[in-house]
Amino acid sequence: MINVTESILVITLLSVLLSLGSTRLIALVKIMALQGIMVSLTPLFLRGDDSLGSGAIIFFQIMILIKGLLIPSLLYMAVKKIAIKREIEPIIGYHASILVGLVILIISVFITSHLRLSLPAGHDMVLITAITTMAAGFFLMMARSKAITQVIGYLMLENGIYLIGTALTKHSHTLYVVEFGVLLDLLVGVMIMGIILHNINSAFDDADTTLLRRLKD
Amino acid sequence: MIEFIFILPLATGLTALALPATLGRILLLLTALLHIQLTVMSWLGKLTPTFPSYFSASPEGLLILMVTSFIFVCISIYSFSYMKETEMENKPIFICCMLLFLGTMSMVTLSDHPIVLWIAIEATTLVSAPLIFIHRSKEALEATWKYVLICSVGIALALLGYFFVTLAMDLGNINAPMTFTSLNTVALELDPLWLKVGFIFVVIGFGTKMGLAPMHTWLPDAHSQAPSPASALLSGALLNCAFLGIYKTHVLMSVAGLGDFSGNILIGFGLVSMLVGAIFIIGQPDYKRMLAYSSIKNMGIIAFGVGIGGFALYGAFLHIIHHSLLKSSLFLSAGNILLGFGTKQVQRIGGIIRHLPKTFVSFFAGFIGISGLPPFGMFISEVIIIFGAFQKHRYICVALFLLALTLVGAGICRIFMSMSYGEATDRLQIEEKALRLLPSYALLFASVALCVWMPDIVYTIILDSIKIIGGTTHG
Repeated sequence: MINVTESILVITLLSVLLSLGSTRLIALVKIMALQGIMVSLTPLFLRGDDSLGSGAIIFFQIMILIKGLLIPSLLYMAVKKIAIKREIEPIIGYHASILVGLVILIISVFITSHLRLSLPAGHDMVLITAITTMAAGFFLMMARSKAITQVIGYLMLENGIYLIGTALTKHSHTLYVVEFGVLLDLLVGVMIMGIILHNINSAFDDADTTLLRRLKD
Repeated sequence: MIEFIFILPLATGLTALALPATLGRILLLLTALLHIQLTVMSWLGKLTPTFPSYFSASPEGLLILMVTSFIFVCISIYSFSYMKETEMENKPIFICCMLLFLGTMSMVTLSDHPIVLWIAIEATTLVSAPLIFIHRSKEALEATWKYVLICSVGIALALLGYFFVTLAMDLGNINAPMTFTSLNTVALELDPLWLKVGFIFVVIGFGTKMGLAPMHTWLPDAHSQAPSPASALLSGALLNCAFLGIYKTHVLMSVAGLGDFSGNILIGFGLVSMLVGAIFIIGQPDYKRMLAYSSIKNMGIIAFGVGIGGFALYGAFLHIIHHSLLKSSLFLSAGNILLGFGTKQVQRIGGIIRHLPKTFVSFFAGFIGISGLPPFGMFISEVIIIFGAFQKHRYICVALFLLALTLVGAGICRIFMSMSYGEATDRLQIEEKALRLLPSYALLFASVALCVWMPDIVYTIILDSIKIIGGTTHG
């Protein structure tokens, strides 16, 4: 029998590796949409059927809508509007990035097995995926110079943190209202970043953060 | 209905989008006045929370709410005149974001649930970003980009920190609601290891927002590029809100018996911030950046005082109040100078005493205050912190503290002298106006007045904020 949770987590991990290796920005946005949906689905399958109220179902639908549809379409619009197709000069190359991604994965497995947490069955895998996603998000932000890729890195970081929250806590304390607030912050954050991105693009003729070197001491 | 304190500015802020700028300015002023009225009511205990599982009126929150509200009244009067005289592409957006900024900051001060606190702090970043890039220059865009990205990533780490606190709850088998108030009552049962890990992430996360070195890199850019009323709010009110997040977690740590651990971390970050601030103030060519670095130094002093605890904790709380009053006053005066001379470069400004005599008075008084000299309150708070550190036998820390203060004094003095006297290279563009002077005078006056006569209610509320972790108001 195929374990649904594990398949979802494997897809998430693959999406992380793909995003580290992808050269085209549109492809990157699509990968992020997939990752967003997978991350939103994880707690649903992890928890089983016993604790799913109607509030939970509505919340997860909203979450899939925001993470899988709204945020990626905002990113898609940003990519179209500023007319950049690919990252030409990454600070760290694509092959090296994938290698770094694999190293991060191994380190996450190592960390998870050394934490000695009495996690419920199946949560080890979630924690591994979560740490990998978070660290890869950080790496993406540092290794790419296009502003849009940095936003995507930030989103990956958030996805990772959300997964850590799912893996570690039993969800008896966090409430849907609160989680919805976090999601809303994320959505507005991406919107604001998109607006600044657009302005940077029209002021500098390119949305590259290496151009942002005017302010320093 | 204590939630009304933040619902009001949020609602009027959104309304301001639909109004023309002239009406919007009046709305800004009216909301500020209503807000301080509601704040006074909450101090008198007339307002109770409708959603006690998310919001509550904690003494430290109320203190920072009052500081924020008072500063906002002064800044809204200043903005009233400021907006008339500056070119701004979109004035309704400016008014809207100022009000939303006030609303989200009030929400920070009132929230009791850790994740609600997190949501509110992240929201302050988002609504203040448009304020920074309102002028749309290349520098402003760069500052905004850094601000949003660095702060969002930093604050995301704080969320991770709170997840670890939740894990500490699960491991301790605690079934209490997740609010700071109820966590403090069961703190001893929390798992200490994960609580420590959580605290480290919270300090790094909210420390980014508070401007603690070495996560401070966004702060000088954002403070120097934002229009002056917004800089005054960023420095005088926003940094306190981020501090509140750290302080509440520190209280939780102390109640759980890990106060030494969290205190030492705060002392470390505090000292580093003071020294970084001091080093960058010396030879700083831009006076608004200089004020920003001074904020970093003062946030360091506050973190240091909280870390030392005991009597120094009282000093730290006094320092929060007086830093907010003096720094926002200075940013408002700096705004007059920027309007007058049209440049932020120290070298190109001279003879403020002749060209802008009334601004000179508030600028001069602000500099005396920020250097930690009497009769302003920072003198008292710094002396109390040093005294408290001596009581705890932290002699090396006191030495570093004094070194940083001396460096800052020297750096500020040089910049101030060359700006006030000397020859100006540029001609004066915009004259000073009474509406842009009174707010900075009022803020300075409040700082002096609080030294001479502190109302009992303020004293009680500071005492209530600090006594839970062993703070005292007498050496």
